[in-house]
Amino acid sequence: MKTARLWLAASLLACASANASPADVPVVYDKLPNGLKVVISEAHAAPTVTVAVYYGIGFRVEPKGQTGFAHLFEHMMFQGSEHVKKFEHAKIVEANGGNLNGSTRLDYTNYYETLPSDRVETALWLEADRMRSLDVSDENLKNQQNVVSEEVRVNVLNQPYALFEWLDLWQNANQNWFNAHNFYGDLHDIEAAKIEDVRQFFKTYYAPNNAVLTIVGDVDAAAVRKMVDKYFASIPQQTIPKRPDVSEPAQTKEKRIKQTDKLANVPAFAIGWHLPDQNSADYAPAVLLNLILQGDDGSRFYERLVKEKQISIDWSGGINYDLGNEFDYDGPMLLVSRTLYKPGHTADEILREVDAVIHDLQQKGPTARELADAKVRFRSNYYDALETTAGKANLLAAFALFRDDPSQINKALPLFDAVTAAQIQSVAQKYLVPENRTTIDRVPAAKEEK
Amino acid sequence: MIALRALSVVGWLRFARCQIREYATLRNLSTTDNRQLTTRGPLGPRPSMFAAVSLALATLAFAQTTPPPPGPARPIQWPSVIESKLGNGLTVVLVPLHNVPKITAELSFLAGRGTAYKTEPGVAQLAARVANEGTATRTSIEIKQQLRSIGGVLTIGVDNDATTMTASSLADFAPKLLDLLSDVARHPAYPQSEVKLAKTNLAQEIEEQRSTPDFLAQEELDKALFGAHPYGFTVPDPASIKNVTRAALKTFAAAYYAPNNATLVVVGDFEPASMRAEVERTFGSWKRVPLPPAPKVVLPLRDKRQIYVIDRPGSVQSTIIIGAPAPPRRSPDYIPLRTTNMIYGGSFYSRLTRNIREGKGYTYSPYSTANLRRAAGSFETGASVRNEVTGPTILEMLYELDRMRVAPVTAEELESAKTYSIGGMELELEAQSSLASRISSIYIDELPHDFLQTFRDKITAITPAEVQRSAARYFDTYRGAIVVVGDYKQIKDQLAPFGDVKVVK
Repeated sequence: MKTARLWLAASLLACASANASPADVPVVYDKLPNGLKVVISEAHAAPTVTVAVYYGIGFRVEPKGQTGFAHLFEHMMFQGSEHVKKFEHAKIVEANGGNLNGSTRLDYTNYYETLPSDRVETALWLEADRMRSLDVSDENLKNQQNVVSEEVRVNVLNQPYALFEWLDLWQNANQNWFNAHNFYGDLHDIEAAKIEDVRQFFKTYYAPNNAVLTIVGDVDAAAVRKMVDKYFASIPQQTIPKRPDVSEPAQTKEKRIKQTDKLANVPAFAIGWHLPDQNSADYAPAVLLNLILQGDDGSRFYERLVKEKQISIDWSGGINYDLGNEFDYDGPMLLVSRTLYKPGHTADEILREVDAVIHDLQQKGPTARELADAKVRFRSNYYDALETTAGKANLLAAFALFRDDPSQINKALPLFDAVTAAQIQSVAQKYLVPENRTTIDRVPAAKEEK
Repeated sequence: MIALRALSVVGWLRFARCQIREYATLRNLSTTDNRQLTTRGPLGPRPSMFAAVSLALATLAFAQTTPPPPGPARPIQWPSVIESKLGNGLTVVLVPLHNVPKITAELSFLAGRGTAYKTEPGVAQLAARVANEGTATRTSIEIKQQLRSIGGVLTIGVDNDATTMTASSLADFAPKLLDLLSDVARHPAYPQSEVKLAKTNLAQEIEEQRSTPDFLAQEELDKALFGAHPYGFTVPDPASIKNVTRAALKTFAAAYYAPNNATLVVVGDFEPASMRAEVERTFGSWKRVPLPPAPKVVLPLRDKRQIYVIDRPGSVQSTIIIGAPAPPRRSPDYIPLRTTNMIYGGSFYSRLTRNIREGKGYTYSPYSTANLRRAAGSFETGASVRNEVTGPTILEMLYELDRMRVAPVTAEELESAKTYSIGGMELELEAQSSLASRISSIYIDELPHDFLQTFRDKITAITPAEVQRSAARYFDTYRGAIVVVGDYKQIKDQLAPFGDVKVVK
């Protein structure tokens, strides 16, 4: 309970200033000789542990002509390895009192389980077995092609709006195929995948030197480190191909798309602006700018569009929207807004109000209070991301995978505290301009007589 | 995100988030991780099946062919729960959890969404929606700005049994957060302009919800299982919303948002004595009121299986839910039914998932839930499947349900379900929000106050015979309902063999 006492003391001291009391996440980091990055972080607030493996392959860079393959492959990692039969991964984790999932994102695919912490070794053994020896059959591939096709139907094809605020927005806002293809995949491509493709993909990308293993929870770091050696050290490394060029040419003209939706009853509208690179000085101001515009239902877009003008019914959006957070990606990114609006109003009206809000920020910058509040909001949200062992594992893995430095988890907040109003104003002037944005107006198709 | 398994039933999220406590808990497994930053004790004995790892094997690192054994058992550490009552009847439950420097407060009132629905449908939902849009001394925007300056969020949800105000902020600002929560609960002003806007927007949101198949299916199932009982009411007819007056909202809030009708749970990074004093300061002078009588439970009795179809021409999937009546949460049948559900479809490695997903590939998202509420419950199982396997999916579900009723589960299945249940409860201790809603449900559903502390013993005691009895009684689809949302023309012939079909829309 050392950490807990530390926080309590910090919070007593911090009453005078909201800017003190950094959450201190212990980080032990090194690499095995085979290249596997290992992050261990003790957390003793609850009797649990998360074991997560993040592979440096996401749907952004999946093979051309095989849309949806990175995600289909994610499913294959539950179809069996040398000592763990099809679907037994789930059986073993649950029989040990744990939960599990995997997901595919822009720049990584992750696999994780959260268990009572005395079961940590079981989870390590499971992850090592499938990193070493994926063992899938034609039959299992066919089964998961069906499952994934149903996933696409239930999440996209049979739903109003069909995730247009990222699936369609990314395809329209970007020019480089890697950023502009259908990430979930066309059913045709999903059904065309072959077992040789699966085996080749595993050999190419699922190597220890393309992965981060993260363990967060109520464990002893030194003891866990020994277990990691025992199970992972002998997995051979592979030659990882060079990452394709994912850079995005600058957009020079505004793009306005109109779509009809057979399933929707209410019109929707989405906007995507290209964001500055994560490593640029403009990034931290852009993150706070997003909070000022749409961080909560008292921020500028909501107040203007939902409350004052009463055109929109709701307002949401963010960075890496629907897919992750400000830190867990590596490449071009959009700032997204999404709204449902009232029939009788138009996309032009929404854009007019959005532009008025932006114009004011470009002219005057944020108020001192807005700036201070955005920093508090960011801090509060950041703590939310650190609250669970899986949340901490996510940030640690992203910082290790993309920046080779998981200790950045403790260095992020000061960067945002240092942002000035002038920087935010300048970022608004530079990036929130029409020629840097793509919009999609998605309206209900005229209903036919039943 | 694109995931191996759904963390929540798609399309439901908004509708269900405050609605079904157990359901939300089950499906929110692992409460992860990738939340958008910008928008908003030891276990029982380990399963016998892994007991056979010899020491010799364990030392042969790469040759290890079976899972390693768990580490040494630890004493179980449930959080300390400090319960008290204010003079005005407010139940106060403080649970220190020092995971991050934040606090979460949940104030729940016994005022479900079906309260007074016969005379004023939607009044509970609108009263909740507008309560934080202005008080006697703060305007809507002032509330939001003050929340933002403390890293705070205040949301109000209404489920079958309760209106719940959930507030969180940085721990440093706990007194300010309680000031705001108290003000919203005690002095909502219901400004005319805010009421008008909320009515318009709620009507639109209902139109939007009615375009998602999951919402339509759940709404129909609740109607079928609960009939005229308030649990049968989901949302008002959009056209009727305009009839709800500001005066009705004020009357509703005065009647139900009262200390003697409420439980306040505070979880997070605080010191109990000073938090107790803050609660007294902010809620102590609140006046108790005489409470309206609780509605009588009259559930429809069904003597046969009935199929309800909502026709959705052009649908590329059928959204199926099979439901049957179940007891209230406080029933002694709750713990056995919860466990029975885990084995059938309430875990990933369940019979249902192994059959229709990993075996037959019919679906991505099979599930089941023992959705037990304060006054009554339901057992529900569902999946979204491509049109041509609609009939085969129902057949497999009914088969798996009946199999649980006629034959005992294996010792291995039961052992695994027990460990999974107890481990799942431990996982809820990680996050302030999941712990707060678990504690709140103990009070809303009238469970024994030592629910967490006795949970493990009760789970451990369950026998295969109890599981079978539980299934026999509550997986009784012969007196249940089947709801299908899909393209009726394409699936009509597949449904007919299972019972009477009624096309409801």
